[in-house]
Amino acid sequence: MILETQNLVKSFGGLTAVDDVNLRIQEGELASIIGPNGAGKTTLFNLLTGHLPLDSGRVIFQGRDITGLPPHAISRMGIGRSFQRLNIFPRLSAFDNVQVAVFSAQRQSRNLFSRASKLARRETEAILDSVGLLDKKGVKGGLLAHGDQKRLEMGIALAVEPNLLLLDEPTQGMSPRESAEITRLIQKLVKEKGLTLIFVEHDMNVVFGISDNIKVLHQGRIIFEGKPEEVKNNEEVQRIYLGEEKDAWSSR
Amino acid sequence: MKGLARAFHSHRLALRLALLVLLLILPFILKESWVSLANEMLIMALAGCALNIMLGYTGMVSFGPAGLYAVGAYATAILLTRYHSSFIIALIGAPILAGIAGVIVGWFCVRRSATYFALLTLAFSQIIWTIIFEWYDFTGGDNGIVSIPIPEFFFTISHCYYFTLAVVGACVLLLWTIIQSPFGKTLQAIRENPGRTEFIAIPLKRYQLAAFVLSSVFLGVAGSLYCVFSGSVFPDYAHWVKSTDMLVICLLGGFYNFTGPIVGSFVYILLSKIIAKQTMFWMFFLGAIIVFLVLFMRNGIVGFLADKFSPVTDPAPGSGKDGGGR
Repeated sequence: MILETQNLVKSFGGLTAVDDVNLRIQEGELASIIGPNGAGKTTLFNLLTGHLPLDSGRVIFQGRDITGLPPHAISRMGIGRSFQRLNIFPRLSAFDNVQVAVFSAQRQSRNLFSRASKLARRETEAILDSVGLLDKKGVKGGLLAHGDQKRLEMGIALAVEPNLLLLDEPTQGMSPRESAEITRLIQKLVKEKGLTLIFVEHDMNVVFGISDNIKVLHQGRIIFEGKPEEVKNNEEVQRIYLGEEKDAWSSR
Repeated sequence: MKGLARAFHSHRLALRLALLVLLLILPFILKESWVSLANEMLIMALAGCALNIMLGYTGMVSFGPAGLYAVGAYATAILLTRYHSSFIIALIGAPILAGIAGVIVGWFCVRRSATYFALLTLAFSQIIWTIIFEWYDFTGGDNGIVSIPIPEFFFTISHCYYFTLAVVGACVLLLWTIIQSPFGKTLQAIRENPGRTEFIAIPLKRYQLAAFVLSSVFLGVAGSLYCVFSGSVFPDYAHWVKSTDMLVICLLGGFYNFTGPIVGSFVYILLSKIIAKQTMFWMFFLGAIIVFLVLFMRNGIVGFLADKFSPVTDPAPGSGKDGGGR
């Protein structure tokens, strides 16, 4: 098991955003977390990566207790993430966006006297290639199209060489065609790099298409988990989605 | 315009060489008072570049660089007058002491970001100013320290100028190297998106502190050079007005370009001398210049020129819709 959480709790004022969550993620698994808006999905990610402090509970990653560690330490241990809202370095070129992360992975960030432009070129280009941005490496991150910025963000996350990658709505705001491309890209990366992946997604085609395992979060609690078929046929899950997002199943 | 741009780029090396030659022969072609002005420009160029490590490259707006500049100036002055140390020690001591002051001040300041960071830097520079102003026995208080035993060699303005040119040149080259390094790239990533860097395993606060200390060290060098140049130090060096000078120098030249503060220093000091000679309302004109820059030339002179003369049609940072609003 690569990641285990024990009784995670996080409240904001009177609202319990994450309520007694126990996750168990196997190595190499492609797990997804679904749930209506406000179910606590992003909060859960923020707890796993140290972005928010826990109220109670523990997070175990590769057998080590990482509860309460700061984000940079957790990132160093091998948990990478991408964000729901675009989170890149807008005025650096696509190349530099990825290269900075490669430097960090190679522990070169403290190097004050070598020329950055001569270092880690091959590694950076390999990552840009794997996310399909090699031909746009000179373009400023902020000037890339939305879909390409999402790819770039994934590139930044991959550059740190994570064992576990958390993707927060990787296809958000994309056309169906782009979304299908990203889905293929995710599958390819997981296979090639032996990654374990947890992703939050609203697009049910993506979720049912690639997940090994789906966890359904509702009002901060995991109400059901299982294989795509089991989730599809579960009445409670259907009720939540039919109740709150009437066409979640049919139109997506 | 395009042809001019191409000509400019193809003759870059020649232009740089010409500039270097000009700097080297300056004392032979200009009157002493102008050499002295050039000396001041060089020192402020270094201070501006040092501040710009934080401002332009790490995205940390500091209102208190003068405090650390003054630590450098007073370190040299006090080492020479009170401890009768050798000139070399007094020079090397300045960046070291400014760096130590930078560690202490920076440790507190990087705990907050944006406006709060800026206010903390202002507060600390005022604390440094107050210490200098009130500690008569040690710093000379508002009398400052005058007739500092600078080696006689520096009494000749051209000697002093060459010395300043060499030190500033070496420091600027060093800063340039650092900016081009993986560390420098990482600082720029922090400027662009500090929160994101933590998720690529960068301990953000530590890097911000490193930028702060680096900036302090070079501000210390600039302060020390000014002490050598003027032979005296005053509490004014730590005053927020001095910090404003440094900020305007960066703003004027453009803080997204490495050469911005250098050009800024040249133009600013020249303007201040010319305008101050003609009228008593220098501060009025200074205010007008700042308003103009912020409203119409946010990337400063160098940013503006780079926009006009760049052969690539890449929008300058901060001018596009993605940029600026920090």
